[in-house]
Amino acid sequence: MNRNTDNIEQIVEKNTILIADDAELNREMIKFIFEEEYNILEAEDGEQAISIIQEHTQSVCLIFLDLLMPKKSGLDVLQFMSNEGYINYIPVIMITGEATDETDEKAYEYGAMDIIYKPFAPNVVMRRARNIIELYEKRIDMEKQLEQRTRELVESKEKLEKSNEFLVNALSSVVEFRSLESGEHIHRVKYFTSLFMDYIMKYYPKYGVTKEQAALIVNASALHDLGKIAIPDSILLKPGRLTQEEFEEMKRHTLYGCELLEKFKQEENEFYRYCYDICRYHHERYDGNGYPDHLKGDEIPIWAQVVSIVDVYDALVSKRVYKDPYAVEEAARMIQEGECGNFSPEMLNCFDLARAELFDVTEGKFSFADALQSQ
Amino acid sequence: MTVQEFYTEVDGNYDEIMARLKTDARVIKFAGMFAKDDSYNALVRTMQEGNLDDAFRAAHTMKGVCQNMAFTRLFRSSNDITEALRVKDIDRANMLLEQVTSDYQRVMDGIKKLVES
Repeated sequence: MNRNTDNIEQIVEKNTILIADDAELNREMIKFIFEEEYNILEAEDGEQAISIIQEHTQSVCLIFLDLLMPKKSGLDVLQFMSNEGYINYIPVIMITGEATDETDEKAYEYGAMDIIYKPFAPNVVMRRARNIIELYEKRIDMEKQLEQRTRELVESKEKLEKSNEFLVNALSSVVEFRSLESGEHIHRVKYFTSLFMDYIMKYYPKYGVTKEQAALIVNASALHDLGKIAIPDSILLKPGRLTQEEFEEMKRHTLYGCELLEKFKQEENEFYRYCYDICRYHHERYDGNGYPDHLKGDEIPIWAQVVSIVDVYDALVSKRVYKDPYAVEEAARMIQEGECGNFSPEMLNCFDLARAELFDVTEGKFSFADALQSQ
Repeated sequence: MTVQEFYTEVDGNYDEIMARLKTDARVIKFAGMFAKDDSYNALVRTMQEGNLDDAFRAAHTMKGVCQNMAFTRLFRSSNDITEALRVKDIDRANMLLEQVTSDYQRVMDGIKKLVES
């Protein structure tokens, strides 16, 4: 598809020279030098020059611009070209009767490529014009190639990210499938995590989370319960209350997840680090009363703090083999009042900010597919 | 009258114009264009009206055209009046206009002879 548009651009041959000067004789003086090789367009004043530039943007390869013209001056035209970005791909040679440092300086400052003084020698003008045209051709060509290459890189990066996300989702759904839960929990945790990350980036720049990192964290949040794959059915699927011993085993899913990940350990990989931290620390609590490592405060990485609060919320409002769902208002109260463990003030604040969006998803006010699309 | 004789008559630079335009035929063509250029008339008109900005622009254009045509003498007087008008020295400009007019007339007479021959 891109190739087609390139072809269209090439059909408009870039071989027109615009000569803007109020005296016909002066225009002719340049015209006769170039008319054998180039199409020539002429402008009698600055306004005409501007409208020709707008109309023939694709075909004009060089502009000769007189400094002093009626209606709009050469500098006005340059300023216009610079404001509208034309100056980047159409070179301008200023023509002037007298050299004054002030106007020369201004012309260059506004983006003129060269200045020639009347009266000029045709051979020199020809040579300078050709050099400038060639220079711009090469530059524009290189920019096009670079753009194309960048586009390809972005496309392949997007493809990679998509397949990566697909694999992570597939892996996490294995765990859910075994827990006899619908795959929705993972989708919701990811969506809630993305809501939290947005608020964190907006209101807590102190955490220094970038957009790219947030995307990786959202993706990694899907794996938070990976270690549950190693928990026996008798515990994982038990409808009643777990014994102390069973509960201790259940808590180990945080470590089993890390064991699994460590087999594929990737040093220095950001995504690996998010997956690992989220698996291990998503049951830690701000006051140190969580598990498995009893980390406290900001010892718990921010991404694990986010997943732990959204995981708790979703567990509260979902039906599980061992419990009925809580109403959203009640779940929110329990979290705010620390009945499910202690969270940082920042996390509780984000929870408040995201409250309406969290409730909407849970109460099915809009379909979950919509929520994912709006991310 | 040859092109060279014409340049001698109007006190211009024949070698310079030939370096630029290469052929006599082309010089004659450009001389015809010069005769149609309105900047001298515009200069006279705007000075009568006391419109110094437009007078400056007309003188400036005229000067540029003379430069391109290598009409050295007329270039000099039109350059002087341009500078006077640039600093809005109306008395000096009025004084210089006589010189410009006589130089201009000389060029126009020459062109007439050049085109007729």
